[in-house]
Amino acid sequence: MSGWEVFQIWLGAFLTVAIFSFMYKDNPLYKAAEHIFAGITAGYYVALYLDTVVYQQLWVPVTHNGRVWLIIPGILGIFMFGRLWPKLTWLARFGLAFIMGTTAGVFLASELHGNVLGQMSGTMQIQQVAGQPNYVLTALVVIGLLATLIYFYFSKPHTGVLGVTASVGIWFIMVSFGAHFGYTVMGRVSLLIGRVYFLYNDWIGTMR
Amino acid sequence: MSFWDRISRLDRRWIYLLVWLTVITPLFLPATFPISVTPEARQLYDAVQALPDSCVVLLTFDTYPNALAETEPMARAALHHLFRKHIRVVTLTTIPLGGPSIAERVTRELAATYRKTYGVDFVNLGYKPNYVSVLKGLGTSIESIYPTDNSGTPLAQLPLMQNVKSYSDMKFIFVVTDNGIIDYWISIVNAQFKIPVGAGVTAVMAPKQYAYVGSGQMTGLLGGMKGAAEYEELVDKHALATRGMGIQSLIHILLIVLIGIGNLAYFMGRRKRGAA
Amino acid sequence: MRTTVPVAIAFVSGIIMLVSFFFRTEDNVFGDASQQLLIWSSIIGGFSFLLGAISIVRVNWRNVRLKKSGWGYNLLTVLAVFAMLVPALIKKGWLPESMAHLAGRDAGSIYDWIFIYVATPMSQTMFAVLAFYIASAAYRAFRARSAEATLLLITASLVMLWRVPMGEALLNSIHPGLPGWINTYVMSGINLSVQRGILLGAALGAASFSLRILLGIERTYMGRG
Repeated sequence: MSGWEVFQIWLGAFLTVAIFSFMYKDNPLYKAAEHIFAGITAGYYVALYLDTVVYQQLWVPVTHNGRVWLIIPGILGIFMFGRLWPKLTWLARFGLAFIMGTTAGVFLASELHGNVLGQMSGTMQIQQVAGQPNYVLTALVVIGLLATLIYFYFSKPHTGVLGVTASVGIWFIMVSFGAHFGYTVMGRVSLLIGRVYFLYNDWIGTMR
Repeated sequence: MSFWDRISRLDRRWIYLLVWLTVITPLFLPATFPISVTPEARQLYDAVQALPDSCVVLLTFDTYPNALAETEPMARAALHHLFRKHIRVVTLTTIPLGGPSIAERVTRELAATYRKTYGVDFVNLGYKPNYVSVLKGLGTSIESIYPTDNSGTPLAQLPLMQNVKSYSDMKFIFVVTDNGIIDYWISIVNAQFKIPVGAGVTAVMAPKQYAYVGSGQMTGLLGGMKGAAEYEELVDKHALATRGMGIQSLIHILLIVLIGIGNLAYFMGRRKRGAA
Repeated sequence: MRTTVPVAIAFVSGIIMLVSFFFRTEDNVFGDASQQLLIWSSIIGGFSFLLGAISIVRVNWRNVRLKKSGWGYNLLTVLAVFAMLVPALIKKGWLPESMAHLAGRDAGSIYDWIFIYVATPMSQTMFAVLAFYIASAAYRAFRARSAEATLLLITASLVMLWRVPMGEALLNSIHPGLPGWINTYVMSGINLSVQRGILLGAALGAASFSLRILLGIERTYMGRG
């Protein structure tokens, strides 16, 4: 392993320990690392967008390919900087309205078509386990879905049949949230494992 | 303060120390564990396995660097599988921070192992902002959204991209992600362009994805590091995820024990206060 | 002008995207128009991210200029921004051939190196620390105070065991079918139905919110001024 590679690993290890040091208490080393990280992130974004958007998507098509109409989104994009000056904030609205409008147009159709219809049709079929129909599972899915929807339905008071169904809903929800908690623990531990392997295999590895 | 009250109010740093000790111990006592494969992971593997050789698959690196411990093993195992089957791979990311660099590093490393050539066997499109534009726009024309690849080479100069103009030229989308973008790969891309989507997601996101797997909108699922270990098992390339299962096991057991002790202390403390 | 024009822009662009959904995207006027709008949207979106990054520099530089408490940290942020930006913007041709690879954003560049060896370890560690917090929180707050909380606790423990090999072996020793039962009935049954309910609610909410934007009822994104 070259000296440069060793330096890279030691740098990573130093920064890792600097962040871990926060677990004991807040300290200047952690604060410095945190601020450097914020700066690197911002610098990363600026360079990336200047290259991939301003240069590749705007400058090249306008100047090399004659797509002059792309000047319009370019101007709307520049208008976004109006946010930096209180008197010009309103200029940013045009670009924002464009993004919000196109996104809303896509979502209006895709949420209904992709999610609502997709999920409803998924509920209306017999659930399969290992290629075999499972009617208990099918009933569980239908009952759980209805109970959950009713639990989150607040336009009528949860009394009578609605109340009983909503309380079934909360039992289903608790099981699902429990599963979610179990998975979340797993996720956080996995990230720790990644760092521990780095410190043990790579960093301590340079000292062996 | 009673014994149980003291246990209940244990300084958090003792818990941290316990976690550290539990993490470090398996490093000195390495052991491998058999990895069982869930039907969801098997479904994803089977879907990729059933693809014709030399077809084109889109592999997304929709992941921030902080989740790499979970997502990178999935992407690596997927690339082993794809390259081994001589499937041509197009990669992209909807994540600006690190996405392009991660895709570049991981794909080139694996490609070198399988002697794959950039531009012929794989291409990294990189990143473009506004995921709605990217996901929907690629259904009509890849080139209009990505005029160049990640390094700035025009797509017209890349042999692989001569026959890959939109989703219709791809057979499968393998999404590796640590965020909610997977919802849009399903609701926009799978629903409108009818291309099968399989996913490797972080553990935090996995429970939600069961809704998509159950409705048939998602073709297979890997959940967290265990999901990655399952795919490593399926492609017979045991790496970080499989090795990590020892530590993962011990910490989960430690947490269950801690929850048990915490509850015991809580109830004993309550009983004592009730008696007093 | 300041309100009506943005509402009109949102309406027209949204309607074009909505109508194009019902047509094949190739070779028709809606397909072409929607594709153009998506490209425009991507370009404008890029500028909005630039705005965010510039704001960070602005705020930090102001603190440095006014020598506010902790300004040294703010200076580090500003320096880090330029440490990334300057090498990335230098053209390879401006440097001698032996150093050309350091410029730009490709693998091996200074930009890429700082990201991989400085930012990535910090970013990964920040999230790794959460494992300790979740352990501490579980010990202190995860109490079986009610029947619902007990159910949550039991499910969490079962899932935690099921997702790791040692735990799975333990479950197998209780009953060989237990791990499969958890996957089928807890994850693909109860969990699936709840997640589906939440998904349906969120999808209907997103669709109605989108409709409000198109019709100009929802205008909060415009801010004040």
